[in-house]
Amino acid sequence: MMTIRMTAGETKSAMQSVVAEMYDKIVKGEPPTMTLPVRTKNNIGFDRKLGVYKYGKNKSVRDATSLGSAKQLLRALHIIEFIEDMIDSGKSSTLREMYYISESWGLGKFGSQNESNNLAEDLEIVTKCLREDFKLRPEEDGARIIGNLTLQERNRRGEWMRINARDDVGDSGYGVPYNVETEKIEFLEHDINFIMAIETGGMFDRLVENGFDEDYKCGLLHLKGQPARSTRRIIKRMSEEWDLPVVVFLDGDPWSFRIFASIAYGAIKTAHISEYLATPSATYLGITSDDIVAYDLPSDDLSKKDVEALNAELSDPRFADSWWQDQINMMLELGKKAEQQSLAKYGLDFVTDTYLPEKLAELGLA
Amino acid sequence: MSGIAQKLASNQKQVAISEFFEKNKHFLGFDSPVRSLITAVKEAVDNALDACEEARILPTIKVSVSKIDTKKDIIELVVEDNGPGIPQKSIEKVFGQLLFGSRFHAIRQSRGQQGIGITGVVMYSQLTTGKPTHVKSKIATESTAAVVDIGLDTRKNKATKSNAGREIWLHEDGEMKKHGLEVTTRMKAKYQKGRQSVWQYLRMTSIVNPHAEITFTDPDGEIHHWPRVTERLPGKVESIKPHPHGIELGQLQRMLTESSDSRLSVFLRTNFSGVSTRAAKELCSAAELDIKIKPKQTSPEQIRALLEAFQGERMFNGKPVKLLNPPTNCLSPIEEMLIKKGLSKTIDSRYATTMTRAPNVSQGNPYQVEVGLIFGGDMAADKPVEVLRFANRVPLMYQQGGCLLTKAIESVDWRQYGLDQAGGKGVPKGPAAILVHLASTNVQFTSEAKEALADNGEVMEEVRKAMLEMGRGLRKHLEKKKKMAKTKEKFELINDILPAIAAKSAQILDRPIPNLAGSITKIMSAVICETNNEWNKSTKSVDVSIKIYNYTARARAYTILATWPEKSGGLMTNNEHGGRKEATGVWAWKLDTLQPGENMTIAYSLEGLEKGDWTETDVFYRGSQEIIGAMKMDEKYLEEIRNQEKIMLELNSTASQPEENPPETPIIETVAAVIEPSIKPPSGQSTLFGGDQ
Repeated sequence: MMTIRMTAGETKSAMQSVVAEMYDKIVKGEPPTMTLPVRTKNNIGFDRKLGVYKYGKNKSVRDATSLGSAKQLLRALHIIEFIEDMIDSGKSSTLREMYYISESWGLGKFGSQNESNNLAEDLEIVTKCLREDFKLRPEEDGARIIGNLTLQERNRRGEWMRINARDDVGDSGYGVPYNVETEKIEFLEHDINFIMAIETGGMFDRLVENGFDEDYKCGLLHLKGQPARSTRRIIKRMSEEWDLPVVVFLDGDPWSFRIFASIAYGAIKTAHISEYLATPSATYLGITSDDIVAYDLPSDDLSKKDVEALNAELSDPRFADSWWQDQINMMLELGKKAEQQSLAKYGLDFVTDTYLPEKLAELGLA
Repeated sequence: MSGIAQKLASNQKQVAISEFFEKNKHFLGFDSPVRSLITAVKEAVDNALDACEEARILPTIKVSVSKIDTKKDIIELVVEDNGPGIPQKSIEKVFGQLLFGSRFHAIRQSRGQQGIGITGVVMYSQLTTGKPTHVKSKIATESTAAVVDIGLDTRKNKATKSNAGREIWLHEDGEMKKHGLEVTTRMKAKYQKGRQSVWQYLRMTSIVNPHAEITFTDPDGEIHHWPRVTERLPGKVESIKPHPHGIELGQLQRMLTESSDSRLSVFLRTNFSGVSTRAAKELCSAAELDIKIKPKQTSPEQIRALLEAFQGERMFNGKPVKLLNPPTNCLSPIEEMLIKKGLSKTIDSRYATTMTRAPNVSQGNPYQVEVGLIFGGDMAADKPVEVLRFANRVPLMYQQGGCLLTKAIESVDWRQYGLDQAGGKGVPKGPAAILVHLASTNVQFTSEAKEALADNGEVMEEVRKAMLEMGRGLRKHLEKKKKMAKTKEKFELINDILPAIAAKSAQILDRPIPNLAGSITKIMSAVICETNNEWNKSTKSVDVSIKIYNYTARARAYTILATWPEKSGGLMTNNEHGGRKEATGVWAWKLDTLQPGENMTIAYSLEGLEKGDWTETDVFYRGSQEIIGAMKMDEKYLEEIRNQEKIMLELNSTASQPEENPPETPIIETVAAVIEPSIKPPSGQSTLFGGDQ
């Protein structure tokens, strides 16, 4: 698996070509432009070679014929200048910091942080660089991991620090940093058979308390809801570099289905780097629509929004296979959804003693 | 001056209903402590304005409210005016007797109308505090002012007077006061702020009386001042005789019994408006009455028959008797320009439109509708618009929902004109205020409290029509504003953002800053017109600039036309581009060819106007390429203006006294009415700048 990391020089020259597109247009007597792929559900398609969903060929040209897009171009120039400065001075900043720094950009300042986040993503897409190449960090919370695996992380002093995610950490586990690339993290060794990604903190803590990681020789990873980029990236790296299966244990509702899709097939917003973030081999463990019935789980009625989300998923190319179609249709028929923790109906140990072993056995992992 | 004051007093007749008042004070606006104070201010201020108007004096009115006893809610009210004053011997009658007013029997547009006013205040004070009302009055022919305390004996329907005397009345600056009236009274009342308050009443009064200067000192000592914005007094109101269509049985009965005429036909001809000698005979015939019958001797059946003839229920030759309309010169509209000024001084706004409809007659009563709408500024966008209702220049502050004027506003679907309105019904929401003024010789209220106008289909339709016209004006304004905002954005793009993009990209690439001309043309790809109207304080004129930019790839040639207030006495100066008069109120300039990227400015000043008189110049063009910010000149439209000019010229050349009727005057009226068809109705309405200024 390739990783498309760029050197400082490559990053800069990729950004320079964005600037040159604008500059050359002005010289030619045209409105300056920035060309980028269309970033909607209609322009993502399955890349058979990579096994993930990627942006299609539809391009949109952002040109300076309206005040709004002209301002976007100017902001992009300011971001590029800011990133070049950071690269040169060896600094990095959070997206939020950049938003505040833009206060001093005069006409190029951002109206909201959402605007600056989106523009940073636009630049990633156009330059084929990564946020990490731009020295921009997200605010979002990274995942935590517990299990018998050992990696080394380069600390602030530039020294490699060896960490075993079972013996060297407390109950909260190993905190995944925003940058999980090789210059920051190296995987050393492990004694696990698979990785289990878990949606909620409550379930993660239940499995830790019950010693599930040791009993079933697995790494437990807390996703913290919709997983951050670094979380998806570290799952992918562990899966590929250690050749480990990944199972995903979520609530049984339409939103969990989407979380799974972003882990396994790629998210629409980050489809430009799907091959870098998505883990196509990941498996949805539960809660499935079948589980709700089979385990007679306490459930809630689907809300109107839930139903809309399920219907949208029926036409989402990422859920096109028959297994997903069945699960979605079944949930619609049931009109019910269930949380991971509803398994506690049968006692605190039911999930570790009965449910997970049964589900893992189906996959040949227990 | 004293002549007028004495004449007013001598017209008074008395009606004994002070007992009635005591029992029915709630009808008369004294039903709550808050309302009582407003009513008292209203009666005193209305009297002051009426007296000044009749004496042709520009009113300066001072109102002061102070709390005397907070526990018992005792308030002292002082209202001082610079009116003609009241002769000493008449003070007692004016203040002491109910329905003792010169206006009760004359038919004319006036504020108090039924004369119950100030006497009611004296009575209320007497009833709630036991204290008389202190009156100070000075007329011009006397050197000192008369002072007296007026109380009221409600059972005997008589005033009581005490402490009468004379004193020297000095202004604050030590000058002797020439004439005026000051009323000081204490009453049980509460001062309250807000929509229904003394403040609001005076504010509204000031809007419809732009010729008045009003100062109000509130109980906290805060001084509110509404300045005079015009030196022009309202037109003199003429009394008219009643019209047969508007008369009621009781009134007819009274007129007949009081008449000293010897024949019914003479009585009809001389006591009514709209009744010719022919009509008088026909009315008698329709009522099957002898024309020679003595009016005094008519029987109740005969009177009823006569009334039925008036109302067309009894016919002459199978048709109702044809009567002339009553004259409408008895009305005194505020007029568009002055309403605009009144509104603008009181409420901060971005857009103001006003309109005075032609006078009309309903049921024998002349009436006239005036409306105003202001939009934008500091007004709240999510609240119902402020409705300012007036009858004969008197603010109506209560019973908004039950009033004909409100119903007319509610009947318009304001959504199509840019205001929010749930379901297209009710009072619209938005940053706006709507003013409606009904001037009439006989305003019909829903009750004695005189706070809401009674339903009348004709008046309703008239108000509604005026609302629709104003709505169209508002929509046009909003559309123009939207277009201008877009244009402004484009200018920001090419003037600020594009140069910044060029400079920043050049800096990042370490290359020279490129020339922007080509990109600008491609981005704008239009001819753009920017118009600016600015009030110049030092020259007291409106400086207008019309800037045309050619941001297209080809050379362009245009004739630019602009409206200007020729009709209302504006003078165009410093017009260096010359040009020529295209029609009245429309000037035209033929521009030299504009090359791509070029721009040029037409600039001139408009003198002879006051601040706020002219804030929007409409710009038109002749030429093939559209100009953003200007309208394509509709030649049919201009042709129509010229036709009107020609018709008026011809009409005028047949007029007998060309020296006194210079041909321009009537033409201008008509032309201005045509230039702004979206605001002006086509017929002989008075124009944007009012009638006779």
